[in-house]
Amino acid sequence: MIGVSQFRGLMANRQVLRTLVERDLRVRYAGSVLGWVWTVLDPLLMALVYFVVFTLIFTARQAGHQPYFLHLVTGLFLWQWFAQNMSETSRALLSEARLVRSANLPRELWVVRVVLAKGVEFVLTLPVIAAFTIFYMITGQTKLHWTIVLIPVSLVLTFLLSVGIGMILAPVTVLVNDMARVVRIVLRLGFYATPVLYSADMAPPVLQTLLALNPMSGILELFRSGFFKGEMNLLSVASAVVLTIVLLLVGSVVFKRLEPAVLKEI
Amino acid sequence: MAKPVIEVRNLGIEFYRSRRRRMSLREMVLKRQNSAPSDTFWALRNISFDVAKGEAVGLVGGNGSGKSTLLRMIAGVMLPDEGHAKVRGRVAPLIELTGGFLGELTARENVYLAAGLHGLTKEQIDARFDEIFDFAGPQVQAGMDMPFRHFSSGMQVRIAFALITTLDQPVVLVDEVLAVGDRAFREKCYERMENMLSGGKTLFLVSHSEHDLRRFAERGLYLSSGELKGDGPIDEVIAQYNADADADAAS
Repeated sequence: MIGVSQFRGLMANRQVLRTLVERDLRVRYAGSVLGWVWTVLDPLLMALVYFVVFTLIFTARQAGHQPYFLHLVTGLFLWQWFAQNMSETSRALLSEARLVRSANLPRELWVVRVVLAKGVEFVLTLPVIAAFTIFYMITGQTKLHWTIVLIPVSLVLTFLLSVGIGMILAPVTVLVNDMARVVRIVLRLGFYATPVLYSADMAPPVLQTLLALNPMSGILELFRSGFFKGEMNLLSVASAVVLTIVLLLVGSVVFKRLEPAVLKEI
Repeated sequence: MAKPVIEVRNLGIEFYRSRRRRMSLREMVLKRQNSAPSDTFWALRNISFDVAKGEAVGLVGGNGSGKSTLLRMIAGVMLPDEGHAKVRGRVAPLIELTGGFLGELTARENVYLAAGLHGLTKEQIDARFDEIFDFAGPQVQAGMDMPFRHFSSGMQVRIAFALITTLDQPVVLVDEVLAVGDRAFREKCYERMENMLSGGKTLFLVSHSEHDLRRFAERGLYLSSGELKGDGPIDEVIAQYNADADADAAS
């Protein structure tokens, strides 16, 4: 079965995986004074900018879920994790070329390691989301729903989806020079093709169907459902689950196929 | 008879002569196909041999004969296009020594991380930590908490060599690293290699130094333009290599 042996290889090396993730976090936080603040600051400032633009300048009555600022914060934080996964996994093999060349480890490890490290950073930002939620609850602008328990599900899906796409991006970037640029452009477009700023139910029906084909759209739906009232779009959630599994399988096939060529190039 | 520690069968690896593999998207879209010629060559082909436990094998051959490629495939960091190279037991690769080290972290952190990459648990590293730094020498010991990039390159290699040889893996691959380090340290390295050999480790050595080869290896493998030309006692193989090299020089 595809992927099973790869999964076993990763499990056998989970100690190494842990070491690598710890190293990533240590390097990331050792070199900077503000450390964690940077991870939070970027999406928080962007949320502020969008909030000002859409509610104060355009004065859109219905920009997304209400309260809109919480809608932005939840969306931007999760999107930031996903977007960083994409740009970092595409460089995962190249940037660690020396290590890839000198250590005999399952090469998938380099992809998983990036997603995990970024995931830890993301989880560390969750208290910020919690703080805003508590603030809006106290001021009576929102209340939590039972669907809040779906948050872990959405995080697992983001993780698997990122690993799946990452296993395609990492080897292709080694073999095709300009892949990194393509990733950057697709990410920028993908940001608007994902209901980060808006919510999917505001879009006209045709666009809603298109949005359902974007796995991040369903994942965001799951992630946000506990914070806001309103029906969950089950179609896009189902499509997100299916697409995640498909991409994971495609990713592991592509990775295995390209591995020998990548090791010659690196 | 015990199974061989290293088993290489019909090993072959093919490389592109041009940079074809490094494709550019613009090229693919605009020209529909790759402009670069697609001829390939076999860097190694039809290589078969066994290495038994405790054997010390020296790999001989000119530049570009495929020695390092062979070593990489045995280490598992390159995958063959034909055949297989199987190793029973873990490998301590003295190939790209400082590959797993990061300049920003201290020497101490680096040792933990690199040893972790080679599969050691934290307790195992704790137990060997002093041994590693004893071997690397007093100057290194004094700077244990200094960022790794502040060490001189010789010192960096010392730490890496000390670490990898302390891993205690049954198979040791050495690619031309004995030339590093000053005289005193080189002697220490030789001593350690001899200890490893007498401790029953299997050694696979690539070197251009006849002195090193004769000192450590009993058996030699001679590679020439991707083929295995000789396999026998190290003295004979060196003689064969020298005769070939002289013949080439004369013609």
